[in-house]
Amino acid sequence: MKKTIHLSINRSAYTVDVEPHWTLLDLLRDELGLPGTKRGCDKGDCGTCTVLVDGKPVNACLYLAVRANRKKILTVEGLETGEGLHPLQKSFLKNGAVQCGFCTPGMLMTSVSLLEKNPDPTEEEVRSAISGNLCRCTGYQHIVEAVMSVKEKK
Amino acid sequence: MALPRFQYHEPTSLAEACQMLRALGKEAALLAGGTDLLVKMKNRELLPKSVVSLMEIDEMRQFNFSGKGKSIGACCTVSQIAESAQIRTTFPALASAAGHLGSPAVRNLGTIGGNAVTASPAADLPPALIAYGAKARLKREGQERVLPLEQLFRGPGATNIGVDEILVDFQLEQPPEGSVAEYFKLGHRRALQCSIINGACFLALNHRSGVIEAARVVLGAVAPTVVRAVSTERILTGERPSSKLFLEAGKAAARECTPIDDLRGSADYRRDMIQVLTTRTLQNAVEKSRNHFARV
Repeated sequence: MKKTIHLSINRSAYTVDVEPHWTLLDLLRDELGLPGTKRGCDKGDCGTCTVLVDGKPVNACLYLAVRANRKKILTVEGLETGEGLHPLQKSFLKNGAVQCGFCTPGMLMTSVSLLEKNPDPTEEEVRSAISGNLCRCTGYQHIVEAVMSVKEKK
Repeated sequence: MALPRFQYHEPTSLAEACQMLRALGKEAALLAGGTDLLVKMKNRELLPKSVVSLMEIDEMRQFNFSGKGKSIGACCTVSQIAESAQIRTTFPALASAAGHLGSPAVRNLGTIGGNAVTASPAADLPPALIAYGAKARLKREGQERVLPLEQLFRGPGATNIGVDEILVDFQLEQPPEGSVAEYFKLGHRRALQCSIINGACFLALNHRSGVIEAARVVLGAVAPTVVRAVSTERILTGERPSSKLFLEAGKAAARECTPIDDLRGSADYRRDMIQVLTTRTLQNAVEKSRNHFARV
């Protein structure tokens, strides 16, 4: 039986009827047409489906949509504002941190939440924050540099 | 992979949850963080008709640190444990174990109770909890029991929790003055890593004589369940800390464990590493306690 939930996604209010077996990832990609959040392993191992729930990174593939009731969700689609791309997105482009791009949404969301909590992280802290986000192009060095260079600008 | 269909229940009190569980019986699975249950359901290893979420029950998501006896609700998330100032001060080895579990995003979902009830011999939190002497409080409709956490486990994935029982919280006592505990974990990488071996050591030192009054040595991923190395504890108790004693304790711990060969490591390697890391962890713990007393 479907359940009605109210939530905010990328600063817009939504009211949706969800099936209990839908994950937040299913809801975002298949129901709401927000495919920026990627489906990778679908088991919490790869981190590419990372979104922020009330500011905290979680694996959307392991989070039931019904639990998102009254929560604030931020996905990669919500990083860009009227002023253009998020500074972190610009930094990813400038530093060559995007290769195939599949891990990028998760990397961005995790790093956004890190910088929110800790605006001046060490390289070690950046590496530890993204430790649950796998990049199979193994482009970690550029990703770390991209996050560090945004921090330096602040 | 899509989840199979199920009926979803979201009780908001423990009493309501117990009632539901009694009515639904074996057909129901309890959901906390979902990092294990939902994966097993996606893999079709578990196909419960009903899922009862415990995450809307406020009392299960809280710490109670006001008295001498402390409690940690089973639905507290692993990041709550890792980041709580109270836990970092009172039970630092538990906070350290929590910081080693999974990845940051998994820690924001996974819970301390979930990490125990999945009964993985390699779970991160049970060794630290057992080192601090934690007890598990279980509740079913109209009944409650409390048992030492190590008695909860029967084998890989198997516990002594009844089908109508809920693990409500962990009960801990303020560690005595002069006691120290340390967690250790050996993995192939630092995140999203199931331990090759892990464990925790607890020592209560008499602050005048320096003698070890009580010791708990807990080993993970080297037996069907997390185990206490009882004869190692006996070797330590009543003695003064020394390199020789800790070397002997490490050897005893290696003799006491019964590891298997698997893709993460061989039994021989595990046994050797238990010896090295038990010795090293005891040494580190005592050094920490010395620094602490030097400061006081």
